[in-house]
Amino acid sequence: MTQPAFAARVDRALADPDLKRAIERTTGTARSKRAAAVAAWPDFAAARELGRDIKDHVTANLDHYLLTFERNATAAGAIVHWARTAQEACDIVVGICKAAGAASVTRAKSMLGEEIGLPHALADAGIERVETDLAEHIIQLAGDPPSHIVWPALHKTREQVAALFRAHHHDPGALATVAAMVASARRELRRRFMAADVGISGANFLIADTGAVCTVTNEGNAELTTTPPRVHIVTAGIEKLVPSTAHAMSLLRLLVRSATGAEVTQYTTFHCGPRRPGDADGPTAFHIVLVDNGRSRMLAEGLAEMLRCLRCGACLNHCVVFRQIGGHAYGGTYPGPMGAVLTPVLDGLAGTQDLPHACTLNGQCQEVCPVAIPLPTLLRGWRERSWREGLEPGVVRGSLFAWRFLVLRPALYRPATALALRVMRLFARRGWIARMPLAGGWTRHRDLPSPARQTFMAQLRQRRPSA
Amino acid sequence: MSDARSTILTAIRATLRPDRAAADPAAIAAAAAGLLLRVPPLRPDRVRGAAAEAFLARVASPAVGASAERIVSLAGLPDAVRRYLAAHDLAASIALQPHPELCALDWSGIATHPRIDLDEPVAVGLALGGIAETGSLVFHSGPTAPTLFAFLPLHHIVAVAAERIWPWLEDYAAALATLPVPRNVNLVTGPSGTTDIEGTLVRGAHGPGHLHVVLVDPAYHPPASDAA
Repeated sequence: MTQPAFAARVDRALADPDLKRAIERTTGTARSKRAAAVAAWPDFAAARELGRDIKDHVTANLDHYLLTFERNATAAGAIVHWARTAQEACDIVVGICKAAGAASVTRAKSMLGEEIGLPHALADAGIERVETDLAEHIIQLAGDPPSHIVWPALHKTREQVAALFRAHHHDPGALATVAAMVASARRELRRRFMAADVGISGANFLIADTGAVCTVTNEGNAELTTTPPRVHIVTAGIEKLVPSTAHAMSLLRLLVRSATGAEVTQYTTFHCGPRRPGDADGPTAFHIVLVDNGRSRMLAEGLAEMLRCLRCGACLNHCVVFRQIGGHAYGGTYPGPMGAVLTPVLDGLAGTQDLPHACTLNGQCQEVCPVAIPLPTLLRGWRERSWREGLEPGVVRGSLFAWRFLVLRPALYRPATALALRVMRLFARRGWIARMPLAGGWTRHRDLPSPARQTFMAQLRQRRPSA
Repeated sequence: MSDARSTILTAIRATLRPDRAAADPAAIAAAAAGLLLRVPPLRPDRVRGAAAEAFLARVASPAVGASAERIVSLAGLPDAVRRYLAAHDLAASIALQPHPELCALDWSGIATHPRIDLDEPVAVGLALGGIAETGSLVFHSGPTAPTLFAFLPLHHIVAVAAERIWPWLEDYAAALATLPVPRNVNLVTGPSGTTDIEGTLVRGAHGPGHLHVVLVDPAYHPPASDAA
């Protein structure tokens, strides 16, 4: 993931007309539905401040809430595990699967599972993994990583999905409509739910005072993943804690409206321990793996605000860069603005330092964030650190030093900019510059407006009545 | 992995409590409770008047996508189910949630079974309650309420008592705090759906494709006749 690789991924994304169409179809709907949901809630701004304060309260007392959750979950019969790193988390999950003699696991979409590389770890251990979320099922068939945190198959058009199902499903039918595609996936996955030995899910919230794990879904696949198998394993980031069910409700209102524009998901489930005496269904063993993987370091290193993130995806849907290049170009588990903040934490800044630059700082992401994360500020923080650590390429450093040299010397800077204007105007045709040496990076994709005849300083001198 | 546990907690405490002061549970609880005091005035304007009325309207709204009707007593549920089966041209065979109040009803003319199949056409159940704000049904898992009843059938018909409709999500959370916490709480809001292909909403993803809510409301006065 060096700089040429990022640039190459961006070039590939920009050259793919299907991708742009697929992104716009889903994010366009998401933006308009979110806008309608927010407009229908006069006190949304105040609710957002409350959401921010709930998350900050948890972060400020994270040790207390982790221990409270562990105590209550254990009392309900859950087995709580702790993992410092992605590797430790995967080892724990694979170990539980092996101890249960699992041949097949079903999985309900979890971004944390993607973050820690669980699909690969299960494959390496020879355990069959069945993704049950429709979008995860699509990208599993395609062999793709997710390209969005709410709609992992956002990069696929309906035509591409139909082709995949025709190739892989046992009974695909005509697949003429999206509804027919959904029905085909329902038939295909139905039997797999019951055949699994272990079901793996993530968590939207960990409820400290009950020890329950909350998941939100629309398809019903999470409950069909976690109820029939003998073992249910939850992998959850340590930032997912909330004090109580009531606190979770305030965050649910914000999360769902921001993600899909709905007011609540079809299924909001609180899982608390294994099957009880007399229960007709439910797992006999219930494991929760609490994963740090950089989060305690974020707390220590000035990224505590990022621990508020609810993973709603609104910042992706509203990002002008994401909407052009899609999720895969970012190269990490998490794309878009929140991904550009998180990926340097997870993969190291060296090699990912381009991501915080893939941003216009227009502030849309912060504006739509349901917990008011100052994403542009956090991205600027990474840019500064990249500069301090000498990760910026020589040509950028050299240019900035040259610019500083000039700008500190007005007697040189003014004639130099005046000359630059004259040279640029030589390349202008009818007010626009279509091609110019050294400006290919810009003019390859759009024209550059022709500059004014005179510099700002020159115009100012002329307009001042007496100076 | 007790090593991992202490490493993580030590790292967090090094940042949060550099003076090594212990967390004060009473102060933290007070702060958490203080946050909840801010909730009521800023909730979306969803519930006005009787909670049961608001619930019924919400359930049948396009956003939730369920159908709903009202009966005066649970004894009327089998008739409501018969009407539903006839209207949807379904066979007179249902998976009946093994709840004593449901089993005690007169199901003559309908074959009932207590276990639910993978491709069950119709299941009939009884919810613990409902939430007016969102139009959600509340299920608590247990011996008389298997979780899969809400997820396997294609048609799910659910009775819920009008006096068990909570106005807001927080009212349900407060009620839960007085009950034993069940293994599973399922808040079910409309039939299952997905927007995973191009953001297009399709009902009936993996869970039920149709949800029919029967509100049992003794205060309801049905129209005197169909002609009324």
